[in-house]
Amino acid sequence: MTRNGTSLEVAHASVKELIAEKLKYLVPMTIIFMVGYIGLTILAGFARDLMGLKIIGSVNLGFALIALNYLLSWALAIVYGRIAASKFDPLAARAAMEIFGAEKLR
Amino acid sequence: MNLTLGIFIVILLITLGITYWAAKRTSTTADFYAADSRLTAAQNGFALAGDWCSAAAFLGFTGLTALYGMDGAFYALGPLVAFCTVLFLIAEPMRNTGRYTLGDVIRSRMQTRTSLLAAIAGTVVVNFAYLMPQMAGAGVLVRLLTGISYDWAVIFVGVSMIIYVAFGGMLATTWVQIVKAVLMLSAGAIILIMILSVVHFNPLTLFADAEQKYTAKYLLPGNYLKNPFDQISLGLGYVLGLAGLPHVMTRFYTVPDARTARRSVVWVMFLAGAFFAGTTLFGLAAANYVGQEAIRAADKGGNLTLPLLAQYLGGGKGSFGGDLMLGFVAAVAVATILAVVSALTLSTSGAIAHDFYVNWVKRGQVDGKTEVWIARIAAVVIGVLAIALGILAQGVNVAVLVILAICVAASANFPVLILSLFWRRFNTGGVVGGMTVGLISSVVLAMIGPAMRGADALWPLVNPTVVSLPLGFLGAVLGTLISGRDTENEKRFDAFLLQVHTGVAPG
Repeated sequence: MTRNGTSLEVAHASVKELIAEKLKYLVPMTIIFMVGYIGLTILAGFARDLMGLKIIGSVNLGFALIALNYLLSWALAIVYGRIAASKFDPLAARAAMEIFGAEKLR
Repeated sequence: MNLTLGIFIVILLITLGITYWAAKRTSTTADFYAADSRLTAAQNGFALAGDWCSAAAFLGFTGLTALYGMDGAFYALGPLVAFCTVLFLIAEPMRNTGRYTLGDVIRSRMQTRTSLLAAIAGTVVVNFAYLMPQMAGAGVLVRLLTGISYDWAVIFVGVSMIIYVAFGGMLATTWVQIVKAVLMLSAGAIILIMILSVVHFNPLTLFADAEQKYTAKYLLPGNYLKNPFDQISLGLGYVLGLAGLPHVMTRFYTVPDARTARRSVVWVMFLAGAFFAGTTLFGLAAANYVGQEAIRAADKGGNLTLPLLAQYLGGGKGSFGGDLMLGFVAAVAVATILAVVSALTLSTSGAIAHDFYVNWVKRGQVDGKTEVWIARIAAVVIGVLAIALGILAQGVNVAVLVILAICVAASANFPVLILSLFWRRFNTGGVVGGMTVGLISSVVLAMIGPAMRGADALWPLVNPTVVSLPLGFLGAVLGTLISGRDTENEKRFDAFLLQVHTGVAPG
C-alpha cells in the first residue's frame, strides 16, 4: 500500500510537470486565437468603416482579416499537433507508466 | 426534379447498405455508442466534418453571403475557429475521462446522482433544440426539392434516421456521416473549380463584380447582424458553444486514444474549414451570376442559393448539365440533414438510456445486452418524438431554436464541462448552479428577444450568448461556493487530473 502511494505521488509529480508544460503553450495559443477572432467580431460590430478599407482591389480589410483568421486557425492546429506529439505525449506516457508500475506492485 | 429524387435514392440505398453491414457488427454497448472506439483519425475527422456541417452550414452560409455579404463570411468562419477551443481544451480530456456520453465525464468527476441529472438535462435540451429545427428544415427542403408534402418529408427523414441509429448505432451513423462528408466536399470542390474557371482563376474578380453590382456597402459588415452585440454573441456562441454540443463531443469516444482524437480534430479543421471558406466564394458568385432577386424569389431566407448556383454553373435552367448539378447538390443537402439528425438522435439516446435509465434509475445495475436494447428503443422513441415535433413546427419560426441550442451549449454545458475538467473546488452545487443559470438565462433571454417577439421584443439581442455565458459561469462559481467545500471530491481531483491528462485511471 505504501509503495503504491509513493508511486502515485511520483505519477502526480509527472502530471504536474505535464500541466505546467501544457499551460506554457496553451495559454498564449488560446489568447492568440481568442483575441484574433473575438477582436474581429468587435471590429465588425463597432468599426464598420475601418473594415471597409480597401486592401487589394475590392477586397477590404474585413475580408482580409477573415482570411487571416482562417490561416491562423490552421497554423495553430498544426503547431498544436506538433507540440503535443513532441512535448505532451512523452510526459503523459511517463506518468501513465508510473501509474501502471503502481498497479503492478499491488 | 426527378433527377434529384433519383440521385437521392442512390444515396439512400448506399446508406441503408451501410446500416445493414453495421447492424451485424453492433452488439455491445461499446459498439452501439462508440463504434467500439476503433475509428482512425481520418475516419473520425470526416465524420466530424459531417456532424459539423449541418444544412444551415451547407445551404445557409452560401445564402447569407449572397444576400448580406460579409456577415455571411462571419457565419462561416466561426465554426472553424471553434475547433481551436475543442482541440486545445476538450477533445483529449473528453476521450480520456468518458466512455459514451457527456454525463460520463461529469459523473466520473463528481460521483453524485444530482450532477448526472444536470448533465442529462443539458444534453437533452441542447439536442432537442437542435433536432427540431433540423426536422422542420428537412420538411421544407425536401418539399422544395422533390415536391412531396411537408408532413411526408418529415416522416421520411425521421424514419430513415431511426433505421440508421436503432439498427446500426454509432458505426452506421459514422459511416453515413463519412459518405455525406465526401459527397459534400466533392460538390464543393466541383463548384469551386467551375467558379474559378468562370473568373479565369482570379477570385478577386468575384469581389470586384460584387462591388460593382451591389455597391461597396454589400462588402461591409452589419448588413445582417445590425446590433454590434449580436455580432459578438455570434462569435462567442461559436467559439465556446461548439465545445458544448453533446453530439459533437461524443465523436471523440469513437477513437482509441487521445492522440487519435487530437489528430481527428486537425483533419476536420482542414476539411470543414476549406468548405466554409468556399461558401464565402460561392455566395459572392451566386450574388454575381444568379442575382439576389432570383435567390430571394426561390426562397426568402436564401436557402436555395447553392442549388441555384450549381444549376447556373452546370449550364442553366433546362440544360442537362444544369439539372444534373442542381439534382446532385439538392440530394447532398438532404443527405446532410439525414446525417446530422441521426447523430443528434444517437447522442440523445445515450443520455436517456446510458445516463438516465442505466446510471441514474438503475444505478449501473444493468447488463450490456439489455442496455443496448434500451438504447435502441430510446432511439425509436426519440425519433418518433422528433417527427411529431417536426410536423407541429410547420410554419412556426424555428430559427430561435437554432440560436437557443448553441446558446445553451455555450452557457450551460461549456462552463460545467470546463470547470469539471480543470477546477479542483468545483462541486455538485456548481454543476447544478451552472446548468440551471445557463439554461434558464438562455431560454428566457431568447424568448423575450427579437427572434421570438419581433418588434415587441423586451430585449434587443437575437442571440443572448454575450450575457448568458458569463451568467452560466457565475452560476457555476456561486453554486460551488454556496454549497460549501466537498473535501472528498477535492481529494479525488488528483486522480481525476491524472485521468484527464493521461487517460489512465489509478485503481
